[in-house]
Amino acid sequence: MKGALLRLAILGLAVVMLAGNAVAAEPAAKPYRIYMALWRGWEDAAQGFKDYFINQNIPVELIIRDAAQDKDKLKEFIAEAKQLKVDLVFTWGTTVTEEMLGRWDASDPQSYIRDIPAVFAIVSQPVGGVVPSLESSGRNITGTTYLVPMETQVNLIQSYRHITRLGVVYNPLERNSRVAIDELSAIGARSGFEVASAAVEVVDGKPLAASIAGKVAGLKAAGIDFLYIPPDTFLNVSRDILTGAALEQGIPSFAVGENAVVTSKAMFGGVYRYYTVGQLTAYKAEQILVHKIKPEAIPIDAPKRLSILINMPVVRHLKLYPPMKLLELAEIIDPAEGKRP
Amino acid sequence: MTLDRTRPLFVRLLLLAFMVLVPPVGLLTYDALGEFSKGLVPELDKKAETVGRDLAASIERAVGYGIPVDHLVGMDEFFTPVLRSNPEIRYLAVTNRDGRILYLTGARREVLEPFYAVADFDDDAERVRKSNLGDFVDLAQPISGKNGRVGHLHVGIDDGFVRGRLMEIVIDIAVVTLGALLVAVEILLFVVLVNVIGPMREVGMVIDRVRRGDFSHVSGSGSDDEVGHFVSGFNAALRYCDDLFRRLEDYIDEVKAAHFDKSVVERVGEIEARVRFLFRFSRQGQPDVITERQAADIRLPLFLFVFAEEMSRSFIPLYIRDLSVPIPGLSPDLVMALPIALFMLLIAVVSPSAALAASRLGSRRIFLMGLVPATMGFVLSAWAYSVYDFMLWRGITAIGYAMVTMACQSYIAQISKQERRAQGLGVYVGAVLTASICGTGIGGVLAERVGYRPTFVVAAVLAVIAGMLIYRLLDTPQVSEQRSSPHLRQYLGLLRNWRFSALILFAAIPSKIALTGAFFFLLPLTLMLDTAVDLGDVARIMMIYPIVVVTLSPLAARLADRTGWKAGLVALGGVIGGMALVTPLIENSPQMLALGVVLLGVSHGLSASPQLAMIPDVCWTECRNIGQTNVLAFLRFAERLGSFIGPLLAAAFLPFFGYYDSIVAVGAISLGLSLIFVVLSFAYGSGPHIEAELME
Repeated sequence: MKGALLRLAILGLAVVMLAGNAVAAEPAAKPYRIYMALWRGWEDAAQGFKDYFINQNIPVELIIRDAAQDKDKLKEFIAEAKQLKVDLVFTWGTTVTEEMLGRWDASDPQSYIRDIPAVFAIVSQPVGGVVPSLESSGRNITGTTYLVPMETQVNLIQSYRHITRLGVVYNPLERNSRVAIDELSAIGARSGFEVASAAVEVVDGKPLAASIAGKVAGLKAAGIDFLYIPPDTFLNVSRDILTGAALEQGIPSFAVGENAVVTSKAMFGGVYRYYTVGQLTAYKAEQILVHKIKPEAIPIDAPKRLSILINMPVVRHLKLYPPMKLLELAEIIDPAEGKRP
Repeated sequence: MTLDRTRPLFVRLLLLAFMVLVPPVGLLTYDALGEFSKGLVPELDKKAETVGRDLAASIERAVGYGIPVDHLVGMDEFFTPVLRSNPEIRYLAVTNRDGRILYLTGARREVLEPFYAVADFDDDAERVRKSNLGDFVDLAQPISGKNGRVGHLHVGIDDGFVRGRLMEIVIDIAVVTLGALLVAVEILLFVVLVNVIGPMREVGMVIDRVRRGDFSHVSGSGSDDEVGHFVSGFNAALRYCDDLFRRLEDYIDEVKAAHFDKSVVERVGEIEARVRFLFRFSRQGQPDVITERQAADIRLPLFLFVFAEEMSRSFIPLYIRDLSVPIPGLSPDLVMALPIALFMLLIAVVSPSAALAASRLGSRRIFLMGLVPATMGFVLSAWAYSVYDFMLWRGITAIGYAMVTMACQSYIAQISKQERRAQGLGVYVGAVLTASICGTGIGGVLAERVGYRPTFVVAAVLAVIAGMLIYRLLDTPQVSEQRSSPHLRQYLGLLRNWRFSALILFAAIPSKIALTGAFFFLLPLTLMLDTAVDLGDVARIMMIYPIVVVTLSPLAARLADRTGWKAGLVALGGVIGGMALVTPLIENSPQMLALGVVLLGVSHGLSASPQLAMIPDVCWTECRNIGQTNVLAFLRFAERLGSFIGPLLAAAFLPFFGYYDSIVAVGAISLGLSLIFVVLSFAYGSGPHIEAELME
């Protein structure tokens, strides 16, 4: 708790400095006040969001709050944002976004932020959650997606290696994983591979990290030639266990989120970098604040540029080398060479 | 058809221009090519080295990440795009330290292995090694990993590439030289005709009269050169004679009026009568100026105009394809064919009224009026936005084209006396064919270097120059006496003559279907399917057609005149024309298509003149009734329907057969119709046919 407070204090200091900078650059303009609600502290998406305003020379005052993965704090955030009468709310992640802005079909809209325009980022499945469609939220919010389209992901995997069976370990408690598996199976049926999935064990309503290794071994026995790591908070948290198990079994792994590749042992990933997603989200905030475009008129989309990440130590360990063309396009993660983009 | 009178002169001038123009161009080309190849080879080496360095860097990067050089993945996919975008690079390979080939794209292993096996790749020098391996120049770039040399990347340059490029340039220069030669000869011919031959012929005619005691005419005023001085000196002499005669007349009148001695008056009257009997002088008080027009006067403007139109010959279908936008309900192939078909249709429809207008309003006026839509059409074609407006601009051009060509024909018809009409027509055909050679060739080279659109602008400029020439040269309007034009019923009556109908249906129309459907429309598109063929090649191949026609046509005409075997030549030509288009059956290749173009030229060279020459025999009665000119005009109109059908037919085949087989299909139709004519031709007999009259 103390750590969190200290972090908050440092962030606050940063905000004051930032605001000072902005004001110095454009002394006449009154800065826009943006309430940033984060889920796991300050990371790349938030940094990209902030840097955009600095680069574009738009004066902003960022009020930064970190829920530190505590759902209960989000109610306080709603109250605070309303009380501060901020110009815009930024929400990070599916939980923060759904708790603060409410699902698009929520029955009790007054308990969420409705009057203040909002932008969201890092929401893996916004459609059917916070918004009815990507074209328009139909209300006072817009945002970005950060997942590479499934078709593109599959093409990427197949450009690395021909697959006949794709394995997925997933958390049965998260809807996202199920959706991903269904989509994969549909594409597999079209392009000639099957999907083998294994749900982690759930004990006391919580997924059991210790069961992951066994599931991976089971999939290996089922003859998979690639492991697909879906967007899933639980798997993200236990990424070292999951990717470690895959490496031990000699299975190459493809991750949808960048963390599994950049900070863990997934071999390969096709992602939109969080930093870029943050910048795109800030661009949408600019549309709302500076250009006065209604949020419902701004479609929800993903960055144009895809990042292909290849984790070189894992590649070397598996001796499964990427094709030259993919290597040319990829960002290489190789701590031994000092490469950590 | 008789040769045109200027032909021997044309040939002589051509030889002269050839001797003057070709040796220096040849020498210059030879020198320039030497320089060029000296410059090209190091350029190629440099480019290959750059490509090699990039590829080697990528491989080194991969090796640097710890991928063993013999475990690189997807090298074929990595190399193929590089080979595709650099035609001079034939293969790419990677060898390991021992010279063993690890990866190779673009050549066969057996070809290179022996060379690499004996080559010493062990020295660690960081430089590119260049070696000659048979037909290739091999540039070896070292690849180094963390622990030193791991192998080499080889870039193989095709030794034949430089030769091929040089050959292409030589052919380009030859085409341009041929074009320049023909243009130079056209201009020389024009200058000689207008400045020397024309005045001399007039002087000759005047001398001819003087020889018979006729002093009533002088030659037209000469220009300010030796010929002009001679003409004016000669005229001065005539005028002096005329003046002497007037003075004599005055003196006689004076004697007759005032002399007292009647016998003297009588004697003087006798002398006067004698003089008047022996010599003729103008009654107007001074000699009349004789002006003799020649068909050749119009040759250069006509040449320039047709040149302008032919410039786009080789690339029109390609240009349309670039502009093409889908039109709902029509297949894209049909859309491509539409502008060409429309062009032909409009020429067919407008020509009769243009001919009528030319005979009423004068050729000069119709020529100039026709240039307005034609030039506009060229300019707007250059700025065409889509296939819709392009069709409109081509339509405008077609109207102008019909007006200009009809004006020329009508001019020639009016000034050539009946017996020389065929010669006059020879001037027309000669100008059109030479223009077709130059236009197709130079237009293609131009379009390849500067693009389609600027070439249309050049065409517009040429049309304007043609207009300026006409404006300056044909200064008096040509209005002929009104001839009644036959009624439609009389034209249709022609069709009751089975020989004439058969000639149209089974000879004239099939040959036009082959020409516009296969040659104008399908050929450029089909040739471009081959990636090795560029626009210049298309133009060069298309140029063969008029060259063959222009060489064969006079021979065929002479043969037809001498043997009277006209229907036979037409039939033979038709069959060869049909066969020309089925050459792709042997092989789908540009070479076969080029052979087809040669055969098509042979076909039309053989049949075109005899076809026209048959008319007076076949339609003996009709020519008496409605005039040979009108019968010929009707033949033209009817065969242009073939030109209209041709592209549409070809486009209709495209979706089913593809390019090569559509040419074959058009050829098959043309061949089938021609074979019918072969059978019928045996029934034609020879000499005039008058039984048509019996049927009336």
